[in-house]
Amino acid sequence: MKRGKATIICEVKNGSYSQYPVPENKTGTYVIELLTKRILALGASQQGQFLVDCESYLSHPQMGTTKTVHILHNSEQPASVFSILESGTKNIHVIADGLFDLLMMKLSQHYTSKKQTKIESKGPRFELGDFCVKLGSVTMNQNFKGILVEVEYRPCVMANAVWGLLREFLQGLLGPTVPVQPTQHLMSRMNEIYTPIDTIYQYLEHFSAYRKVTGMRNN
Amino acid sequence: MANSVNISIEAPIENQIQEITYDGQEIYQAPLSMSENLARLAQKIDFSKTEDEFCNIKKEGESSLESKSEDDNKEPGYQSSLWPWDSVRNKLKNALTEVSVLADVLSIAKEKRYMVLDPIQAEPVDSRPMVQVYGRKKALSAAGAVLLAGVERLRASETMRMTRNMPDFHIDLLRLRQNWRLKKVSNTIVGDLSYRTAGSKFSQTGVFEVTKAPEEQIAQAMSMNASGPAPSALRVTVPPELQGVAFISVLCQKEQEDVVTATLSSSALNCPSTLLGDGADLHWQQKLEAAQNVLFCKELFARLAAEAVQLDASIPHMVVGNQIMATVLPGIQLLIGLCHNNGQNNNHNPEGIKSEGSSGKSEHDHVLEHSLHQLLRAVHHNNTHHPFPHPATGPLGPSKRRSLAGPMAADRYELLDMSKEQSLLEQIIQQAQHFFMRRRSEYVLDTIAKEVKDPLIVSHWNALNSPTQSCVKINIMAFGYDAVFRTSLVVHIYQHQMTAVQAVGRCMGWQLLASSAHLGSGPVEPLSNASSCLLASPNGDRMIAIRCEPSVGIQVFIAQSPRKDFFASELVQDKKWENLGGAFKEIKLEKMEGKNFLNKMELLMACLSSPS
Repeated sequence: MKRGKATIICEVKNGSYSQYPVPENKTGTYVIELLTKRILALGASQQGQFLVDCESYLSHPQMGTTKTVHILHNSEQPASVFSILESGTKNIHVIADGLFDLLMMKLSQHYTSKKQTKIESKGPRFELGDFCVKLGSVTMNQNFKGILVEVEYRPCVMANAVWGLLREFLQGLLGPTVPVQPTQHLMSRMNEIYTPIDTIYQYLEHFSAYRKVTGMRNN
Repeated sequence: MANSVNISIEAPIENQIQEITYDGQEIYQAPLSMSENLARLAQKIDFSKTEDEFCNIKKEGESSLESKSEDDNKEPGYQSSLWPWDSVRNKLKNALTEVSVLADVLSIAKEKRYMVLDPIQAEPVDSRPMVQVYGRKKALSAAGAVLLAGVERLRASETMRMTRNMPDFHIDLLRLRQNWRLKKVSNTIVGDLSYRTAGSKFSQTGVFEVTKAPEEQIAQAMSMNASGPAPSALRVTVPPELQGVAFISVLCQKEQEDVVTATLSSSALNCPSTLLGDGADLHWQQKLEAAQNVLFCKELFARLAAEAVQLDASIPHMVVGNQIMATVLPGIQLLIGLCHNNGQNNNHNPEGIKSEGSSGKSEHDHVLEHSLHQLLRAVHHNNTHHPFPHPATGPLGPSKRRSLAGPMAADRYELLDMSKEQSLLEQIIQQAQHFFMRRRSEYVLDTIAKEVKDPLIVSHWNALNSPTQSCVKINIMAFGYDAVFRTSLVVHIYQHQMTAVQAVGRCMGWQLLASSAHLGSGPVEPLSNASSCLLASPNGDRMIAIRCEPSVGIQVFIAQSPRKDFFASELVQDKKWENLGGAFKEIKLEKMEGKNFLNKMELLMACLSSPS
């Protein structure tokens, strides 16, 4: 398995902005612009855009218990297709090349796509020294759902070793009161070598949470 | 018409040859399938042409009309050639029209009211059998004469060949075909000496023609050297642009003001005008090989020149005439020149050859020239040898690394890295750079080894290196003590001396009291730091202190206890204090015996250990 870089994905919740109260009607672009201004003030430079998308397929009821396959793409790994099969307690992932998408189309008899749950996070990508910051606005079927901030510390390959640094960086960016929590998946892999699939798992966990709530995810 | 002789023609049983591979194998076209054959034959049917007189008459009358209508029909037919049966359909349609007109005529004639058919008296054919017989006889004799003349010529040349022991044209042609691609075009035999089949994409062709050498020339050549190998009955004609000798010359040199003029003349003059002997005398194998080499060199140079123009280096590469100039390292230039002498400009001044020939020849770099040839051959090889797709249904073309990139989740930087391909020029510049760096480091190592006599510095260079990576092993040791201590590489040689002296001390049973590689005391050194160590003799009564400063050298001090010069004073009265070590006294190392520093130290330790 290839080594990756320790990455943390944090969700920006509107309520947690104590210092900068966000106006109710222009949340998405406003927050992104605000964060962009802040990160540029830190000396970062914008390096293009990024996109992480996720589409979920449900297995046909005739095949026994219904299973879900999530197909994700990450613009950081443009040649790869990540697929995660949810089967009860255990998740099985497969990383394949671009032809996997075509294979899924062939399997449409057995796995039906839930088009209305196609979800993606996209936005600008910044580089600041060893950090790579991505500000993604999450949309499901063109409906704005929230904002995910991804921070990557490129020299380190183990999340545990750099967790404090990442949290400090994020809190410096978003505000000191923002709670920064690792996702469940990352929790279990804190002392392992970080791989690109770990990023995908984190995104999937956040995406699944977004799907469950209707409308904006404010708490 | 009366003189005509029927000749039957039938198609050969063999299939048509599609391709002749360069090893002489012939690849046949697959025979047509039934439906293809039917379509082909149906295309050939000319429905308008019949033996019927009525049709002939009608055709004559309508020929002008028909040709016009045919022209009209052709244009849309040509455009709508989607349907292969189109022409057949049109012809059948015409035939149907004709048949229905005929039926109408017949039905009208049958009623005998408007038209009556009368038999016409056939014109008696005037047959004069004798004339026909004479005509045929004459035609046959003419054909026979042609055949006889041919046979006579063949026989004559064969007997002459046998009697004079001349080489056989066909045997030679067979040999030629074993190694070269040949094909017959109408009456001539042409061959191809280009590297196309080996993967070259160079646009210039390498077509040559094979002819039979005139017999007089063979006879002349045979008479001139009867003992030598028999001359060939073949004559190979190579296009003028591939004649002569060509090579790529690579030259590394210091930057000069008049680079262009100096190198152009020197490299051009080094080119031998032709191969050994005259062009006509040359065996066809050598001649073709030379021409192939010319083509290869031309391709190589054309490629390098194109790359030199495309690459944007910090110091731009220059392409002037048949020279490419590239800066390898500051002050050092790489010159790649194409030298081609096709024997047409033989009027060089011979003075120049003599004066510059000797100096120029030693300069040019055989290794880089060879590398260039190798690189282009590798490009050719890659053009024809693609990695197998994996899985078997996958796309053909991407390298193994690229096809693994997806499953291995390669990020965008790695993918970008994979898509980069180094050009030939970049590779050769890298090799030249490496060559210079290696030579410089060799020089530095040798100079240090020459200057520093005491610890010997030995550098082992691997004989087999990659063109851009070298391996050197450096051993630092003292003569006679290489088993005791040996350092592979230290930045400062005195570090070796300090550690080596400690190793010798251990062997002698001395005890290391203290050592420091970076002393804080004493004057500041321009390079590195002073180092020191303190050794005590086995029974502890003698001490050796060694201090080493890179700018001064090595100083050795000794002290002993009980000190001999102890006198009770007012301050220190007790006798027991004499057991403290006395003042250190410096030893004059250069006066000591011993081959080198370690040898001297061993002698010193031995001397101090013995009970005195």
